Amino acid sequence: MINTDGSKPIYIQISEWIETEILNGNFREDEKVYSQYKLADLFTINPATAAKGLNLLYEENILYNKRGLGKFVSPNAKAIIVDKRKNRKLKGLIHEVVQESERLEVTEEELVEMIQTAIKERKEAGK
Amino acid sequence: MKVIKCHDVTKEHKGIKALDELSFEIEENKITGLIGRNGAGKTTLLKILAGLWKETSGEVQVFSKRPFNNLMVSANSLFVDDGMTFSNSLTLQELLKEASTFYPNWDVELANRLFDYFQFEPKQIHERLSKGKKSTFNMIIGLSAKCALTIFDEPTTGMDAAVRKDFYRALLKDYLAHPRTIIISSHHLDEIEDVLEDVLLINEGKQLMHKSIDDLKEYAVGLTGQSAIVRQWIGGKEVLYSQELGMDQSYVVVKNNFDRNAAERLGISVSAVAPSDLCVYLTGSNKGGIDDVFNSRNVR
Repeated sequence: MINTDGSKPIYIQISEWIETEILNGNFREDEKVYSQYKLADLFTINPATAAKGLNLLYEENILYNKRGLGKFVSPNAKAIIVDKRKNRKLKGLIHEVVQESERLEVTEEELVEMIQTAIKERKEAGK
Repeated sequence: MKVIKCHDVTKEHKGIKALDELSFEIEENKITGLIGRNGAGKTTLLKILAGLWKETSGEVQVFSKRPFNNLMVSANSLFVDDGMTFSNSLTLQELLKEASTFYPNWDVELANRLFDYFQFEPKQIHERLSKGKKSTFNMIIGLSAKCALTIFDEPTTGMDAAVRKDFYRALLKDYLAHPRTIIISSHHLDEIEDVLEDVLLINEGKQLMHKSIDDLKEYAVGLTGQSAIVRQWIGGKEVLYSQELGMDQSYVVVKNNFDRNAAERLGISVSAVAPSDLCVYLTGSNKGGIDDVFNSRNVR
């Protein structure tokens, strides 16, 4: 589950793992998520790294703190995660498209036209 | 609390500086990896911290005391390496029993469980064990003693891949249950990096870097792309490593302090650099790579 080949920092993978568990309903809203120690044991990683992953989700309001009790799933956690992933995935794809069209020397106008055509075609197919 | 404080520590032997004005601090209850090439000064540093060797100059403090010949420091620290010698008139089982009287925090149960798990025979003699088995036994001592400062110098020497993996897992689980200050030196950074919190990188007796493992992972990035574009892009930047790939492609490693998207827009692909590779690049000598040794011969 956790990929240690260095392609992605471990703490980001930890936060993504928790996000996926929230989306899958394994951690529910207002429920406590695993502690940094539990995560460290689960994935054989340093607890400080696990804490960094948890903090990332806290900063994004996906988790909230209960003093002395640990971190809990925010009521709107799912919505935040879905929104974030949508944005990131779409933006990434668009970047790839732009990069490829530069390589193929497709102009901006041509590219915009191609996207508009694609939208139109989908709309028509849906009718 | 800082368990270790080093200020301008130098160790000189026959005119050669094994350590050269090394300054750093290590906080309580962290696992730190000490990384460096062969001969970088890792063992010298660790032996000074453990109080086994004396520094030539500078200031070393462990638990706020100078470690050399200090009873308090030696009672609270343990140095594990493959040179640990044990009496040959005692069996392994008797050695464990003796160790339990040495160390106030000795964990009898953990020692016995590890002893069984790694399939030691109670009546074996330490000297007759294989290299890997010796290291494994030393590791059992190192973990079971639960010393406030535990130092492992190349603990996995001779261990096979499965035992190394078990060792890292055992180390982490025991650390979670009983947090303490641990320093591990190793050539296998790729294997231990996940259990580390910090990395101290030294080269030729000098400190190169002291960072958290997460920061080290994001310290540099690899750029792959058309040589001309890559060369233009890195103009003025410090290049940590470079390599020609095929006909017209280059791979260069630079510090991660620029806009990634801007590079990608030029068709340069940006990738992460594994900490173990980064350490090799940072400690690389200026004598070029191994290829150069052979190139000069082939030219003739």
